[in-house]
Amino acid sequence: MHIKNTKQKKSKYWLNLEEWSQDKEFQKAAQREFISPPPLGEEASQLWSRREFLKLMGASLALANFACVRRPAEKIVPYTKRPNDIQLGKANFYSSSYYDGEEGFGILVKTREGRPIKIEGNKDHPTNQGGLSARAHSHLLSLYDPERLKHPQHNLFNKEKTNREFVSTQYSTADTYISEQLKNGKAAFLTGEWPSPSSEKLLLKFCKELSCKHFVWNPLHHTSLAKAQKICYGTKLIPHFMPNRARLIVSVNCDFLGTWLYPTQMNYLYAQARKAGGNMNRLVVFESLMSLTGSNADLRTRIASSQNLSLLLSIAYSLIDKGFVQAKWPEHLPHFNKAWEMFSIHEKNWNDLIKDLWKWRGQSLILAGGMPGQSIDSTSTQIAATWLNHLLNNDGWTVNYKQAYNTWSHANRNIEQLTEELENQKIDTLIIHKTNPLYSYPQKDRLRQAFKKAKCIVYTGDREDETGSNADYILPDHHDLEKWSDWEFQKGTISIGQPTIRPLYQTRAFEDGLIKWAKLTNKTNILNNTSSWYNYLKKNSKLSISEWNQFLKIGYVSKTKQDVRVKARAFQTTALKLLKKEKTSDTNKYELTLYVTSSLKDGSLANVPWLQEFPDPITKICWDNYFCVSPATAKKNSLKEGQIIEIRTSYKTPQNLKGPVHIQPGQADSVIAIALGYGREKAGTVANAVGINAYPLAQITKDGDMIGAALPIEINATNQFIPLANVQGHHSMEGRQIVVETTLKKYLKNPGSAIHRHKLFSLWSDHSYPEHKWGMVIDLNTCTGCSACITACQSENNIPTVGKDLVLQGREMHWIRVDRYYKGSPENPEALHQPVVCMHCDNAPCETVCPVAATVHSNEGTNDMIYNRCVGTRYCANNCPYKVRRFNWFNYAKTQHAEPMNKAANPEVTVRSRGVMEKCTFCIHRIRSAQAQAKLENRTLKDGDIQTACQQSCPTGAIVFGDLKDKTSKVHRLFNGSDAYTLLEELNTKPAVRYRVKIRNKPASSTKKETKHHG
Amino acid sequence: MNHHLLEHKKHIMGAFIFFCLLIALCLFIYLISSNKIALAYNNNYEPDQPIPFSHKIHVGQYKMDCRYCHTEVEKGRHATVPSLDICMNCHLTVKTNSPWIQKLTLAYQNNQPIAWEKVHLLPDFVKFNHAAHIKALTKNKAPTTLYFPSGHQVKKACTVCHGPVENMETIYQHSSLSMGWCVNCHRKKEHQAPVNCSTCHY
Repeated sequence: MHIKNTKQKKSKYWLNLEEWSQDKEFQKAAQREFISPPPLGEEASQLWSRREFLKLMGASLALANFACVRRPAEKIVPYTKRPNDIQLGKANFYSSSYYDGEEGFGILVKTREGRPIKIEGNKDHPTNQGGLSARAHSHLLSLYDPERLKHPQHNLFNKEKTNREFVSTQYSTADTYISEQLKNGKAAFLTGEWPSPSSEKLLLKFCKELSCKHFVWNPLHHTSLAKAQKICYGTKLIPHFMPNRARLIVSVNCDFLGTWLYPTQMNYLYAQARKAGGNMNRLVVFESLMSLTGSNADLRTRIASSQNLSLLLSIAYSLIDKGFVQAKWPEHLPHFNKAWEMFSIHEKNWNDLIKDLWKWRGQSLILAGGMPGQSIDSTSTQIAATWLNHLLNNDGWTVNYKQAYNTWSHANRNIEQLTEELENQKIDTLIIHKTNPLYSYPQKDRLRQAFKKAKCIVYTGDREDETGSNADYILPDHHDLEKWSDWEFQKGTISIGQPTIRPLYQTRAFEDGLIKWAKLTNKTNILNNTSSWYNYLKKNSKLSISEWNQFLKIGYVSKTKQDVRVKARAFQTTALKLLKKEKTSDTNKYELTLYVTSSLKDGSLANVPWLQEFPDPITKICWDNYFCVSPATAKKNSLKEGQIIEIRTSYKTPQNLKGPVHIQPGQADSVIAIALGYGREKAGTVANAVGINAYPLAQITKDGDMIGAALPIEINATNQFIPLANVQGHHSMEGRQIVVETTLKKYLKNPGSAIHRHKLFSLWSDHSYPEHKWGMVIDLNTCTGCSACITACQSENNIPTVGKDLVLQGREMHWIRVDRYYKGSPENPEALHQPVVCMHCDNAPCETVCPVAATVHSNEGTNDMIYNRCVGTRYCANNCPYKVRRFNWFNYAKTQHAEPMNKAANPEVTVRSRGVMEKCTFCIHRIRSAQAQAKLENRTLKDGDIQTACQQSCPTGAIVFGDLKDKTSKVHRLFNGSDAYTLLEELNTKPAVRYRVKIRNKPASSTKKETKHHG
Repeated sequence: MNHHLLEHKKHIMGAFIFFCLLIALCLFIYLISSNKIALAYNNNYEPDQPIPFSHKIHVGQYKMDCRYCHTEVEKGRHATVPSLDICMNCHLTVKTNSPWIQKLTLAYQNNQPIAWEKVHLLPDFVKFNHAAHIKALTKNKAPTTLYFPSGHQVKKACTVCHGPVENMETIYQHSSLSMGWCVNCHRKKEHQAPVNCSTCHY
């Protein structure tokens, strides 16, 4: 009866704005269990009446029984000569590396019978320590993308280059032509960035020898950070920020847990210092949009993107003003008295922050940057952040410059210069690699016209995309999983990228192309006496054969010692003279901030359906991008969710863009934000026309850097609406004890004080578990909500994607979901993340209602779902209080596993057909194979033998799985810990999954009195 | 009156036919449920193979160890049909004048695998692990005595399911491979085998 009571008053935790405001529509929707309406439109007309169908089925079944029954005939095709390392039915793992244009880390590629089927983290790799991102998982599916080019292509242009007539060609033909062009000179490269030492060396030598210019276009660049380091310390580098060493982290518009720089590694490092206990770190975030980092903050303040610099300077000013830091305030800068008023912060909170920063000097970390920090002030912002880290003695400890990240300092980033040179016909041959400028360059139309002036454009992308369709030749590069490569993500650590499958199509490594062209132009001196890219790479590594083999086996070689303090560098105070605030007109009511999502990022993997259906960790919307506006701004302009607005930028060449509105709690009122990476025109059937391309809204500085924050805009509302596919609106939890949250102070006194325990009795007798009882504990305190587990599960368990229309009907298929709840006022709420898997209840409500016993309890504690028994009554899903069951409304598998995508499927897991219920199995196939292995080795299972897919890819180690009957296991200890609680305990379902409470490390002054759960 | 009698007779006939059908149905259900007859299973399925390989010669006559060809049977899920290089170990020199061996040699040389007809076929939603079963069936017995050619007095692990392979000219399916057949064995106390649904279905 408590449900009624809680409904009367506003709930403390809420899912979306409709719930918070007790909207009538929401109340109505909350009464429905599912948002799936009866079949609509096309679908309905295709359906037979159920009765007719059953009649026909009955008759044909009867006939089939008595007719001559013939099995489906299958063939067994053994090898002619069996490779030594392949054992049928057993996976091989190859160490390799993943790089997505911004972050890179070590991976293990799981292959079965010679084809990669899953990406797993390399536990020994110094960067990610086993964690993975959703993009790294999806990288696998891009290998089997049916729309990859299968041959090199030649475009038979007419004179004006207005047509597109691609024909297949041979590498030899293309090479002859290109090498002739290269001999004529006036050639240039336009590339992305990839920190591969051998590749970089080869390309540099090639450019030098053939006097080619080299331009770089990487929209997600970190040049302002590298520049600031150069200005402050004399060397251009991207330091390795180490949140694991910090007690206090202040992030200014820097989404380091979600999208900035190397989030997977950051998540791991952050979680190391986030373990419940007295040494837990504190995260203070100032930001303009609600980011994943902000949602994890202990203290979050909204600022506009244009205020980044002012905020950092205010902190510095207060530190000096209060006499903590002995330094002189630069004369040319204004004084930031009463800074707290500028950012609407309580004075006491501000002073506490300053005091804490000083208290934890040397163990704090100031971070600024990322897309929302990429404003016109970005270099000054980075200088200010660097200065603060210097003032607080963080350099050398939390800011590690020895293991710096790679940055390409040699390349010319000024793509505008390239455009001009193309227009003036100073460049005849342009070779484009690892970048797609005609999609991601803001002034792409001008660039496209300039392309037509060149004699020969060569593109090495894997498809006829935006840039590809304007190239003379497309010579597709291998996929990273088909290719040799070496990587130096962090200085001193080289990682291997090794091929795990023979190239599927007629593709060629870009570097092999360079080698070929060097040979044809008689410049073999650059090849270091090698004839192929593989040999070049191997020779360049300078490793002996045994070292090389070891390199391949463990995936990296590292010469630097981890975990040492390095000496702080000398800060050049002249840098402070460069600190200045650019003039921006203050008359603008609204400013635009472009951001990237952790799924699509720059848009390069957009054609992977896993990423398109990946719910954004904050908004929970998939298959679209949208203009995020704050609730107050929405109210002021009477905007509704999904309403289309028109944005007009007001700089030199004004740009218009129309798109739907998403009302985002916690966003700064003056900021309108939209994600990049969407609106691809020629990426393929999955990505085309999904969302809108926001790149044209960005600006380019005179140095060629892209600016995407604090851009003045005007907005106009239209009367049109489009629905946004939000996966969460229907997962309402009705205000019960779902996420338990406590403060560190309370936690240290009594870890379980925030948990309301229920006295329960059962009419059922308990199950007996003779050998094992599998269980899981999810630590909500270290879970950052990054949602890599969703894609890990999708990859492991052959989970289909369903598309926007079906997501709108609530039919998404993810077995693990990450719920996000808000708490507090919608203006600046706190957010909580909670991964929900099947709870594998002892008293499972689904088991008792299945009429055909298709879902049953095993004597190992798992709730088994038997697909071949399921007749699709969906009673189980109706009766599941956790709403974790997913139903196959259509034969998704048939389309999802068409050639060659079927090669990505995991053969260990049955592919489900239409009309079958499915849900999380606790990765039962992994349990079974570990059991079989232990049996063969005449031993019992050890703790840690079995890892579920979600656990394995979790960068923070928040998920622990194991045997609850094993008293020595980690999961047993955590499961019975006093800070562990059960979801919806009052229902007495006795789940085998427990959660550890979420802890906020709030400063003493800001803690408010917490109200108790329903009681 | 005649008419009336006819009607009566018709009723009796009708009742009799109905009764017979009922008995037949009951019998049918009994036979099906007690595994006496196995409809829609494939026992004795004996397809023609692209090369008439004879287990009778290799196993029965020459007493070769099963594991010589089915190399993975103790290691993994699949027993594996031998790759051609295993055949060629002997047939490089043995019986090279036979047209079938010539076909085999040609396939080997051209790197063209031979597509054998699959005999023992489980549906995709059933997972079976050879190694685990061999391990269980050879528990507490010296493993080397369980395989050919160690004489026929020992109940051999492979033959439990695959039948008298040593007498099969062409390989055929000995057991029904139905779920009832699997579970009946798993249920036996002495086997201590799990009977969870997810033992095989996942």
